[in-house]
Amino acid sequence: MMEFAALWMVALVGIYLLVYLMNKRTPVPPGCENLDQSCGGCHLITCTRNPIHHEKEESHL
Amino acid sequence: MEIFTIAITAILINNIVLSKFLGICPFLGVSKKSSSALGMGLAVIFVIVTSSIVTFGIYHLILTPLEIQYMDLITFIVVIAALVQFVEMVMKKFLPSLYKALGIYLPLITTNCAVLGVALENIKYDYTFGQMLVYSISVPVGYLLVIMLFSAIREKLDSAPVPNAFKGNAIALIVAGLMALAFSGFAGLV
Repeated sequence: MMEFAALWMVALVGIYLLVYLMNKRTPVPPGCENLDQSCGGCHLITCTRNPIHHEKEESHL
Repeated sequence: MEIFTIAITAILINNIVLSKFLGICPFLGVSKKSSSALGMGLAVIFVIVTSSIVTFGIYHLILTPLEIQYMDLITFIVVIAALVQFVEMVMKKFLPSLYKALGIYLPLITTNCAVLGVALENIKYDYTFGQMLVYSISVPVGYLLVIMLFSAIREKLDSAPVPNAFKGNAIALIVAGLMALAFSGFAGLV
């Protein structure tokens, strides 16, 4: 059964990567380009849209 | 009758936020405005129902026949993350207006443990497909109800004379605690 579990895990990661890349390559519809900037930020810093991440990127530059 | 009991229990008595303390992060983070709370609540309903159907199917059609049920937790985590990506992609391509309304909340869903909690509870309680569907709709409806009530209270609190030491998250947590106490009064309803 261990081999099934390992194969299943590989398949899952593969599916995730595939869907992630497909999502990344899908163009954003017109009018939605600045959704990230419309986010004022909340206490959830794990969210990729939180402005704290953009501030970090700018400070690295 | 059993379906009705499952629904009332999930919405009021065993509310996912106030009784099981799941999904607290977005509950506190996105409840400052009622409009944001409504968007988040609707996105949670959509993702929980979809992810429950998918994870229920995967458990019974793949994990059980292969006898790898112990992989349920890791499977559900990856499936939910992939599902959120997929939903975002479909919305971008075919439902741009919905993407504009909910798109900002979708990344938050992956950090919402209520989604994983419901997927695991569907298996734990050994629900049939119909029961799972009712439970998976009722839980996020309870989430929407509570986050809307909480955001309405927080909007009022903005203009209330709150002592400095209690401003912000402190008073929000006290309000959440009082709401949990109030909701505990529903125990024994069904």
